[in-house]
Amino acid sequence: MEGAENNKHRTTDNIAISYTGIFDTEILSVLAKEIEGTLSPDDKINKKVFKIFIELAQNISMYSLEREPNSHGTDMGVGTMIIRNFDNYYEFSAGNRTTKDSIIPVMEKCDNINSMTRDKLREYRRLQRNMPAGEKGGGNIGLIQVALTASNPIEYALVKCEDGDYFYIVSVRIDKE
Amino acid sequence: MEDIHIKGVHEAYFMPTVNFEVATGNCEISGESYLEETTKFYAPLLAWIREYTASVKGPLNFDIKLSYFNTSSSKCLVDILDLLKNYQKAGGLVTVNWYYEDSDEELEEVEDFILETGLQINKIPMD
Repeated sequence: MEGAENNKHRTTDNIAISYTGIFDTEILSVLAKEIEGTLSPDDKINKKVFKIFIELAQNISMYSLEREPNSHGTDMGVGTMIIRNFDNYYEFSAGNRTTKDSIIPVMEKCDNINSMTRDKLREYRRLQRNMPAGEKGGGNIGLIQVALTASNPIEYALVKCEDGDYFYIVSVRIDKE
Repeated sequence: MEDIHIKGVHEAYFMPTVNFEVATGNCEISGESYLEETTKFYAPLLAWIREYTASVKGPLNFDIKLSYFNTSSSKCLVDILDLLKNYQKAGGLVTVNWYYEDSDEELEEVEDFILETGLQINKIPMD
């Protein structure tokens, strides 16, 4: 993990796990093990956070504007993930560089997902799951899954970087009870 | 036509255990499913079901015991269930047992597979 920051159980800002760097298979598997094994004493919570991690980490790998070659020479997305541990919930945040044009539809998808009841969201997932692979809009299913798993709204923020790119952050809360 | 036997792997990616038997029609997918190339992994399984339902035409008993699958895998699982539903419609004998871990979300997911495919699926809590 050269050049990357990987801090576990840091006490500042309630951070339990944080990572910034390339989102490639090997690093994702290290992070996955941390989440699965040590985040919470409650396995059900760990599984929820793990499911959310897989879906959002894959988005960074695939769609981050900032890319670096991994050890096999394949360009992978660079981004950040932070898991914060609060009294009653964990907060999972994932962020990556993007362009405004490409992220506006994603933010609209989040708004759409947040406006739905759980039953509507399940119906939407069924609809999306039946779309052929590669069909435009098929990527929604990961965000729908995140909302269903967390049982909480998807929060997001878009920050303009000094170089004109944007940094997109998506966060969800996972209740401990 | 040959059996399929794949031993599950839990490393950087998670490959499920798969056992499909021609002689009995007993089929099992278990463990975890989070793969680098999901479609490529599931394609031979779908091809096996197509061949079995076209040539062997025996009963199919599916046991699905997945403690975790990502959304890409869930699309492929729907494809499997769709094939089973079509076989059943054509007169084939199909039983699907879905073992789920004890959480409301996972039970919901099985119920959604039932709604999505129109296939009867027996919901069984995992031990």
